Formats: sequence, C-alpha cells, structure tokens
Amino acid sequence: MSAPVLAKPQLRGLLAKRLRFHIIAAFILSLGCANLYKFGVAEPRKKAYQDFYKKYDAVKDFQEMYQAGVFQYENK
Amino acid sequence: MPYPMQLGFQDATSPIMEELMYFHDHTLMIVFLISSLVLYVLILMLTTKLTHTSTMDAQEVETIWTILPAIILVLIALPSLRILYMMDEIFNPYLTVKAMGHQWYWSYEYTDYEDLSFDSYMVPTQDLNPGQLRLLEVDNRVVLPMELPIRMLISSEDVLHAWTVPSLGLKADAVPGRLNQATLTSTRPGVYFGQCSEICGSNHSFMPIVLEMSTLKYFENWSHMMQ
Repeated sequence: MSAPVLAKPQLRGLLAKRLRFHIIAAFILSLGCANLYKFGVAEPRKKAYQDFYKKYDAVKDFQEMYQAGVFQYENK
Repeated sequence: MPYPMQLGFQDATSPIMEELMYFHDHTLMIVFLISSLVLYVLILMLTTKLTHTSTMDAQEVETIWTILPAIILVLIALPSLRILYMMDEIFNPYLTVKAMGHQWYWSYEYTDYEDLSFDSYMVPTQDLNPGQLRLLEVDNRVVLPMELPIRMLISSEDVLHAWTVPSLGLKADAVPGRLNQATLTSTRPGVYFGQCSEICGSNHSFMPIVLEMSTLKYFENWSHMMQ
C-alpha cells in the first residue's frame, strides 16, 4: 500500500517572485498617489484661479471693499 | 492674510505667486510619489522572512535608481528656473517706492513725483479697534495702485530686516548699504499683510507690513492727502 505523494512545493525564487510582484505594485501605487494629488488638488486649483479671473471686475471689487470700510481713508 | 487652521499658501494676488503655487503643487506631487514608494518598499522589506544571502552585484537596479532620480531632479529644475527668470523680466514700472527697514518699523518713500515719506509702526494690541488684526495692523498703510507694475527698492537704515508680502510672493532682504529690488503687481484690490522676515532685535515680530491696493484715483487722492 503506497501513500499518495504530494506535489513538490515551489522551493526556489520565492523572494524574486515576491519582489517582482510588489515592485510593480509599488510603482503603480506611487504613481496613483501622484495622480491623486495632481487631479484632486493641483488641477482644481488651476481651474479655480482661471474661473475666478474670467469674469473678475477689479474696480467693482474695489468699490464694494471701499463701501465696506476696508480701506483706511475716506476718499475716492 | 493668514487664517486659523491654514495649511497652504495665502491666496495668490499676483501672477508670480500663482506660478509659485503651481510649482509647489508640482514639486509636492513628486514628493508624495517618492515618499509613497519608499514607504511601500520599507513595509515590504519588514514583512517577510525570505532572504537572499548571495547578492554580489545589482548593476541593472543601480542604473535605474541613479537615472530615475536624475530625471526627477531635471523635472523639478526646469519649471523652477522658468519662474526664476520670469521674476526678473524687464517690466517698466509705473512707480518706484522705497521701503526702508528700521528698528522696529518700516518707512516708505514715494519720491517719483513729489516728496512723500512716512513711517509705518505696528498698532499696539491695546490700541486695536474691534475687528482689527493683532500684530498685523499698522498706523500708516502702504497705498499702491493695483494692476500696475511697481518697483520696490528695499534697504535698511540699521540692521538686517526683510520686507515680505506672502500673498504677492514677495520677500527681499533689507540690507544696510544695499538696494534690493522687487517687482510688485497686484491683480486684485484689497489689504495685504506681511511681517518682517529677518531677525532684527527684540521687536522683530512687531514690525508688520500692510499694503492697500486700490484704484489709481484713490491712490492719487491718498498721496495728495499725505503730502
């Protein structure tokens, strides 16, 4: 009576296999972080400034500030 | 002006400051890229029992981790130099104002057309009106016309100081016996604050700078009134 023989397990190249998988994962993760910052913070900031200045009237803004008493002297 | 729980820069009030903000975003993105990579690799190395005890050389990976940082540094240097040169472009100022640092106040001279000069002392905390900002308000503000390039010449009458307005992206040392030039262009009206940025003695923290950017008409009326 012979006992069933198990398949020989993977004995070599375990570290290399782990490194290969995780180095690729590390690069994907770090590029993902960078893109998250770029499209979550940097691009919205640029767009916000562009949108603000598209219809900005500096003189009107000044009049409103003057009426609100922001400036030191009463003159125009 | 700064506000509580602030994390980033103050809102940009000049084109140069906007460019500096975008450059900071670009560089911080690279910092996050590298930091997340290093953190991941660190955790990777700490969470295994597998070893490789016969490593002799690693030419390929050594090449990669020399070339890649060099490329990253070039990607940081190019936009940095672009902004540096942008700051020094010929700009034909409409007005020249001298800011002189003293212990412990600033004095300003508008001598292009008439002789106007005044001192700008911090308003002491006990003399503040309700709504005014502690350690930032001054008795005489620097009134300037908005949307026009202005030349600031900064120097000192005694020790080193530094004239700073963060929302305009301006900082220049006030060195006795030397004139440092800064270009000021504000895209918006309003009141902008800064503080002395070079240690100059006991009241270094108590000599702020306040700019009032206004219409040309308001500026002209103000300068007549200040004569």
